Amino acid sequence: MEKEVFDYSKYTDSVHRMGRIGLSIGALMLLSAPFLFAYFLDAEIDWNGFLSAIWSVLIVYVPSCIVEYLIYVPLLGPGASYLSFITGNITNLKLPCAANAREIAEAEVGSKENEIISTLSVATSSLVTMVVIFIGVLLLIPLTPVLENPVLRPAFDNVLPALFGALGYQYFRKSLRLTVLPLSFMTLICIIVPSLMGQTSIMIIACGAISIGLSWIFWKKHILK
Amino acid sequence: MSYIEAANSLSLYLIVGAILLFIALLCVLFIVKSYRAGIRIGMDKKVLRRAITSSATFTVLPSVSILLGVIALSGSLGIPASWLRLSVIGNLQYEATVAEIAANSMGLSLNSSSLNVSALSTILLVMTVGIIWGCLLSIFTMKKYSSKLAIGKKSNSSGGGYASWAMVAMMIGLCSTFVGSYIAEAFVNVNLVPVVTVVIASLFMALFEMLSKKYKVFENFSLALSMLLAMIGAVIVSMFI
Repeated sequence: MEKEVFDYSKYTDSVHRMGRIGLSIGALMLLSAPFLFAYFLDAEIDWNGFLSAIWSVLIVYVPSCIVEYLIYVPLLGPGASYLSFITGNITNLKLPCAANAREIAEAEVGSKENEIISTLSVATSSLVTMVVIFIGVLLLIPLTPVLENPVLRPAFDNVLPALFGALGYQYFRKSLRLTVLPLSFMTLICIIVPSLMGQTSIMIIACGAISIGLSWIFWKKHILK
Repeated sequence: MSYIEAANSLSLYLIVGAILLFIALLCVLFIVKSYRAGIRIGMDKKVLRRAITSSATFTVLPSVSILLGVIALSGSLGIPASWLRLSVIGNLQYEATVAEIAANSMGLSLNSSSLNVSALSTILLVMTVGIIWGCLLSIFTMKKYSSKLAIGKKSNSSGGGYASWAMVAMMIGLCSTFVGSYIAEAFVNVNLVPVVTVVIASLFMALFEMLSKKYKVFENFSLALSMLLAMIGAVIVSMFI
């Protein structure tokens, strides 16, 4: 009975309202932080330095921010996207985390269930990251020698290979046909132009475009069902 | 007061603490709201709780890696600025690159002996303005954009259609980017540790997926456990390679 009474569009509207108000306040707080730092440190912003730096940063990062926004919102849904775009670490944490929760909950992309699971997942992940960093900051002095111990260093240098190895197993086996081309493309192009190995944020767009393009062709030809 | 003492002063910790507290509060509000909505549309409480538990366990190890980024940046920018930047929009790769660009544009380098408090505030402003665009796009266009995509308009039982495959394809593209770069690294730099870590993680993932069919407890922890074991594997492999 309760299920029938619940108006999901009202929930969606309230998510947008909370997201917009929350992100507006959050963005203002973030933008004011450098000025507050300058005020409390009795310093001044170096506007010449700022202007000469910001152009080169904007040229590179504004297009990638726009592309990320266009790609990630359909995958995550609005609630999770609002939080992802204020808490960051989307590619290396929020997106895989939400995908993992979605797999476990067996929710379908674009469904109400997926929207709710993704929001729960990204919000929890953001909180856990904040708590871990907070505890780490509190324990920074005793923890630093442990975390920077040369014996343990390879463990933390290889968090992303560990993450994408486990996640890769989950997704590659869903369709080996979809995997072969983007994986071979990335491997070969990085062997030919080794500097691209460090440009994963840009290469994600290329590999994502290849695999989505292929999936669309396969879908149209009824190879994927 | 030296630069590094100023960069680690109490007032800066309080500013950062207030901002992060607000964002944490926003996360809690989203959890409460979506959890209640999940129950109202008839989702099982167990499924909702499992989403929270699996996301929490999944996040711990990557968060320790982010903490390492805080440690790495704190040597030049102080703890409060590094703590703020790595807890909100962005990632270590972005923050380190942009901090270096900003320092260089002022004729400085990213180390505590070269920086001063004005440079610190300026670097923080460049880092913030450079990455805020996704957040601004969300504020101004998310409602219109997501309504065009018809997100949340169908129920779980209506069938995934192409959207499910698009998600799978995007994740394959994402994984291919990273895994491909590790394979290339093995060829170009003869650094085998990342690719061996990938193999170890995928083998453990396969094992835990098999076990989770029999023992449900593995379902929530298989990814986190596979990562942990692969990271231990990376330490062992590094000793021999």
